[in-house]
Amino acid sequence: MAREIPYIAAVQEAIRVEMERDPSVVFYGQDVAPSDEDPLVQAFGRERVRVSPISETAEIGMAVGLALAGYRPVVELLMAEFMLVAMNQVVNEAPRLRYMSGGQVKVPAVFKAGYGFTAGWAGQHTGSIYGMFMGFPGLKIALPSTPADAKGLMATAIRDDNPVCYLINYLLVLEHGDVPEGEYTVPFGEAAVRRSGSDVTIVATGWTVGRALAAAETLAGEGIEAEVIDPRTLNPLDTATILSSVEKTGHLVLVDQGTRHGGASAVIAAEVAEHGFTSLKAPIAQVTALDVTVPYSEPMEAFVLPNEEKIAGKVRQVLGEAPVAA
Amino acid sequence: MQELDNDRLVWMFTQMLRIREFEERVKRTFEDHPGVIRGHTHLADGAEASIVGSLATMAPGDQLMATYRCHGYPIALGTDTKSIMAEIYGRKSGLCGGYGGSMHLVDPSRGFLGTSGIVGQGIPQATGAAWGAQLRGQGQVVLGFFGDGASKQGAFHESLNLASLWKLPIVYVMENNNYNVSTRSEQEDANAANGEPLSVKAAAYSMPGVTVDGGDPIAVYETVGAAADRARKGEGPTLVESKVYRLSAHGNIIAPPGVPLHYPEHEAITTFGNREEYEAALRGDPVPRFRARLVEQGALAPERADEIAQEVHEEMDAAVKFALDDPYPEPEAAARADFVYA
Amino acid sequence: MDADVAIGLLRTMWRIRCFEERVVQLKRSLQVHGLIHLSIGGEGVAAAVCGRLRDDDAVYSGHRAHGHAIAKGAPIDRLMAELMGRSDGVCRGLGGSMHLVDAEHGFMGATGVVGGNLPLALGTALTHHLQEADRVTVVFFGDGAVQAGHFNESINLAALWRLPVIFVCENNGFAEFTSREEHSTIERVSDVVAPYGFERTTVKGSDVPAVWEAFGGFLDAARGGEGPFLLECLTYRRRGHYEGDQQKYRDAAAEQEWAERDPVAQLTRRALDEGWIDDEAAAAIEAEAGEAIEEAVRFARESPFPEPAITAELVYAR
Repeated sequence: MAREIPYIAAVQEAIRVEMERDPSVVFYGQDVAPSDEDPLVQAFGRERVRVSPISETAEIGMAVGLALAGYRPVVELLMAEFMLVAMNQVVNEAPRLRYMSGGQVKVPAVFKAGYGFTAGWAGQHTGSIYGMFMGFPGLKIALPSTPADAKGLMATAIRDDNPVCYLINYLLVLEHGDVPEGEYTVPFGEAAVRRSGSDVTIVATGWTVGRALAAAETLAGEGIEAEVIDPRTLNPLDTATILSSVEKTGHLVLVDQGTRHGGASAVIAAEVAEHGFTSLKAPIAQVTALDVTVPYSEPMEAFVLPNEEKIAGKVRQVLGEAPVAA
Repeated sequence: MQELDNDRLVWMFTQMLRIREFEERVKRTFEDHPGVIRGHTHLADGAEASIVGSLATMAPGDQLMATYRCHGYPIALGTDTKSIMAEIYGRKSGLCGGYGGSMHLVDPSRGFLGTSGIVGQGIPQATGAAWGAQLRGQGQVVLGFFGDGASKQGAFHESLNLASLWKLPIVYVMENNNYNVSTRSEQEDANAANGEPLSVKAAAYSMPGVTVDGGDPIAVYETVGAAADRARKGEGPTLVESKVYRLSAHGNIIAPPGVPLHYPEHEAITTFGNREEYEAALRGDPVPRFRARLVEQGALAPERADEIAQEVHEEMDAAVKFALDDPYPEPEAAARADFVYA
Repeated sequence: MDADVAIGLLRTMWRIRCFEERVVQLKRSLQVHGLIHLSIGGEGVAAAVCGRLRDDDAVYSGHRAHGHAIAKGAPIDRLMAELMGRSDGVCRGLGGSMHLVDAEHGFMGATGVVGGNLPLALGTALTHHLQEADRVTVVFFGDGAVQAGHFNESINLAALWRLPVIFVCENNGFAEFTSREEHSTIERVSDVVAPYGFERTTVKGSDVPAVWEAFGGFLDAARGGEGPFLLECLTYRRRGHYEGDQQKYRDAAAEQEWAERDPVAQLTRRALDEGWIDDEAAAAIEAEAGEAIEEAVRFARESPFPEPAITAELVYAR
């Protein structure tokens, strides 16, 4: 049975369900359940649900150690940038230990954090920094864009035998949607086609999925049918679904809340350029955030981000409805 | 803590000798078989007493994590030296199939959960493993090994605070060899600069801090053993500073491919021109010191000691031969997806 | 402490108090956006510490920075403009509440990541040491930062290199929403640094003369090139971790107690008892601060929003 709940509640529900299902799941982090009245503490006790100090290196490093010792930790890191404090543990320890051991060990850990909070949080708490994690084989990246995916991807992240950066888009936390009750998983590496269309393929993640769908509605009024694809996970990346859509539409617009250089859309563009070149009828276009630190002041913040108008405009460009320029 | 009977003492001596002989063979490989070892190796010669004294306290189910100076632990735990040497030589039958090399030995079947190649980063991982032991509730303990330099890493501070707060069953064993590569502790540590032992840092985490002579395996056994007993009873962690002297340089020289690698002299000599410091350390070498002590107290006959040395010699001959003969892994194995993702 | 000092401190504290109370309103009416952290109830520490410093001394702060910036001499109209995202803001609208900088007055900046300012302060202190200048660096941080690894890395280095830096910990008992006993087995931050052997003390942050005296002693020594020092001020933030925090973790009894120990009220009582001011003068100080803040709000409102194009101009120094 599905019922409508907010995205953020769906994330918590996945953690609760998985903790019930598997006693090796532990959940901790800064400001996680400081009160003994917290439902997770009530359900699972203080041994498995803990509040930790502001010690990111220890928090993430401990998750690696717990995972090596047979547990499945979920670490609450609040903001994706806080992982940067402990970057070594995230990218140089967790995803590498299995490989370097010749497959002897595994590190099933979830690094849960928020990102993309472009709501006046200025430069250090808003970054859509997942692109940089794509270059670390062994590290999976999940970016849920709907409440159902928020639940299903978290459950899959917990059950996965690898380190997963599970990133919540903070602009979506209060979005409501149908979420199945009980155990529910969404497989990694399977993109969701959020809207079918034959004229252009738009690939978007997280918060930008909604922006892309809104742009697609506008374009439909102009007789342009856009297909909107949400990869849901960046590692593994479902290039097959993207390539087959491009084969159908011949046009590709990539939308990314992160920066243009070194970002996720650049990686997808390279894959399609290499493997789908003959399908393309026009150059690939990207609608990303500008290559700047996200500014504080509201008009500037809006200026650097992708939005519906920019997406629709870029679609018109690649379809030749408007001049193709930089 | 168990009493150390003669058999156990001889076992400890044997393990120390095995580590020493193994490390000698690693070092000699650079001369005898140039090009066979690539990259960077770090030897535990000088720390054998500390390693064996610590590991002798382990009960079934106990675990440990260590640093890139990691050859000694699996040797004492019983991992086949053939597979360790093969790993260091990058061969197919290596402990990690040639994927890890000298700095990344792992043998989870014996409780050795692994190492970090980055200074201090194994400390939180060992702390996490100790949390796992606490959750299992079977009285198991984790030994977390790291060097003196790691105690200036944020990871040390964060981990010891948490372990104390959560009373985790862990013994932090700081092997203080007084050098961060070629920097002396008093150049980088405020406590060392004040002439204090580094174990005083434990006071910042309200946990006991003890300093022990890491050249004396029985003293290490008793100190780490008391800390492990405390941890096993749920009374929380301890910081043990085990003072050792590394008898080799930090590692083999770092050079581009094609330049033959070797072990230079110890930094006391190469950096500070202090040959006397190094020679004093050689005079205090823990391996002959322990042999003499066991012989003197009648726990070990000199003839038996010679026999053990011969057996160890043969074991390491076999390890080197095995590793030299072992094939390299197929290059395609580098792309094994099941090692990239579990 | 004398009449002039007390009056100066009261002026600063009232400016901070009025500024922040006005920010509460502006935040509610969406004229200030983003994440706002207030120091209401803790103004005494900012006033007493920064009140002793010169413009060429450096101050670093964290996410709860308004009071430190005001006390260090940053112009309140440009601070208000920054919080309202305007082009005349101290950071031209690019930084906002958590990233205030006013280099002209030695307010070297606030950082948004807990404890991220500690190593920065060491760098500035090392510069002063190398220049053999009698300049001092002060870094403000909360008790939550003490459990972060870079705290320990910074403490060791400052002690080893004897840097002229004064660590000022505002220990309000909460790291964000979690109480200190859930973060550490050591209650006093000054005890955490005990192994490093430098001078340290703990005072009540609500007792402004005590902060003034304790800091003054450290400052004189640091001017002479000595260091480091740690001053722990036990404070209370009378509002949530951020504006909008529901504060379910708060203890109502403690809140009442701290309201009674309000540093502004305490110092005002002391000044009245000593005969440094009369009731009329006390009221005038408050009123002047209120008027100055209203003027700052007017200034900020008149300032235009920045031209979006500056975002691209400021990524790299040219």
